Amino acid sequence: MSIIEVNNLTKYYGKARGIVNVSFNVDEGEIFGFVGPNGAGKSTTIRLLLSLIFPSGGEAKIFGKDCIKYGPELRQEIGYLPSEVFYYERMKVIDLLKYSASFYKKDCTKRMVELSELMELDLNRRIDDLSYGNKKKVGIVQGLLHQPKLILLDEPTSGLDPLMQRKFFNLIKEENKRGVTVFFSSHILGEVQKLCNRVAIIKEGSIIDIQDIEKLQKDTYKKVRILGSEVDEKRFEIEGVSKLEKNNGAVNFFFKGDINQITRIISEQRITDLTIEEPTLEEIFMHYYE
Amino acid sequence: MNIFFRELRANFKSLLIWGGIVMFFCFAGFEKFSAYYNNPELLVIINSMPKALLSAFDMNAFNLTTITGFFGVMFNFFALILSIAAAMWGSDIISKEERDKTVEFSLSLPVTRSKIITAKTLAAFVNCIGLLLITWGITLAATSKYQPDSEFYNFLSLGMLALFIMQTIFLSIGIFLGSAMKQYKRAGSLAVSILLGTYFFSVISGMSDKLEFLKYFSPFKYFDSARLLHESRLDMTFVWLSVAIIVVSLIGAYSTYSKRDLYI
Repeated sequence: MSIIEVNNLTKYYGKARGIVNVSFNVDEGEIFGFVGPNGAGKSTTIRLLLSLIFPSGGEAKIFGKDCIKYGPELRQEIGYLPSEVFYYERMKVIDLLKYSASFYKKDCTKRMVELSELMELDLNRRIDDLSYGNKKKVGIVQGLLHQPKLILLDEPTSGLDPLMQRKFFNLIKEENKRGVTVFFSSHILGEVQKLCNRVAIIKEGSIIDIQDIEKLQKDTYKKVRILGSEVDEKRFEIEGVSKLEKNNGAVNFFFKGDINQITRIISEQRITDLTIEEPTLEEIFMHYYE
Repeated sequence: MNIFFRELRANFKSLLIWGGIVMFFCFAGFEKFSAYYNNPELLVIINSMPKALLSAFDMNAFNLTTITGFFGVMFNFFALILSIAAAMWGSDIISKEERDKTVEFSLSLPVTRSKIITAKTLAAFVNCIGLLLITWGITLAATSKYQPDSEFYNFLSLGMLALFIMQTIFLSIGIFLGSAMKQYKRAGSLAVSILLGTYFFSVISGMSDKLEFLKYFSPFKYFDSARLLHESRLDMTFVWLSVAIIVVSLIGAYSTYSKRDLYI
């Protein structure tokens, strides 16, 4: 079953483009990456899903129900972590969390305490005394305390130190194991690679590609690095090779196709070292950014 | 209910500040009155003032040397202060979420936009009632030493009812502007500008018969304190006009806020 269905969703802010004809589906239990540069329309899409803003065209459904018509009902089961969190500054963390919990139909106290301990949150401080990273931690607890079935993350890791980032990712993975669907928007491909099953690439308001991450890395590109002073890089100018370059006696390139072709050429040459590895997403998708 | 109580708590300080302002005006006013009280010389001075000036401040309708007459003049100041407070609370209580960017949090919670307006309007309304009660209480305390007669107390109660209606009008207009305007920063200043504009209408409508029609545009003129005193009742035409303004503003607030993009 699709948890999120988006069909030709379009949003213009006056004349300014938000997103144009965006369509994708997110399946139950999936971690779906949503990747693109700043201003591509990632936040616009999420805000449309939350009906904070209204579409100029197309439709979006969550749990099979229209996002606008059933917005408040759907949000019972949605957890949202925005890229920047803003809360009522004069409230204490504990009061803010209790306030947030009071909107949900279930008792959230236990989960709230668990999450706060995990995130090492000081519950008795006032929101306006917190640092950026600590506010973000409040955001994580607030977004997850009602044990939502769908989690929407909008560049969630900014402001978190590496240790907290890891804790956060583990938390998301655990939630996912329990069957929670995650929609993960980011411009940091490394994060997406670690976490997601599928990824959609958005650029200038339109989706340009939706791919399976494992497939993308395993079946398509190989990153080849050959060391050796006598290596003739011109031999590698065959179909499927891209970004071929030679510097300091090392030949680097990407290859897409039958790997035997490459090993054959390599075996004809005298080399000192060889690595063939899966490229990072960053390397695969760099051309989408350019 | 949670939104309502949170707003009450968040606005409590503001209520105290406005209460302080009312208290200051009240004591400053009645301090002056102690010099006017039963002082025939004052009447001579007032009679020598230009008539337009007197009518602008409703001073020709009252005998300022009596407590009832003096309250009639004070009423206009109360009307202004209480209405400004109401307009500011109204316009602020919705638009501040966008100003402080908390809207992305508060509206991603499972709550409808109409519920938010209802809860916030009620919270601001309770604040208005609180300020009215403070005004009432302080006036009672400040006037008690002059042992006012029952005419004064009737006039006072009627005056408070009129103030209450004016507060509600400006509260609703404020709520409407705060809900409808995308440029949330301007909602508060526009609400107060409208208020001061209508106050200006009320001042000049009394100066000339040709300008009298302006009184329909000024809630300050709906319940003229001189007529409240002499007729001892509210003019029902204006009561209905007030109800209409309030209802239209609130309907406007609900319908626009439920359909518009939030400014994030």
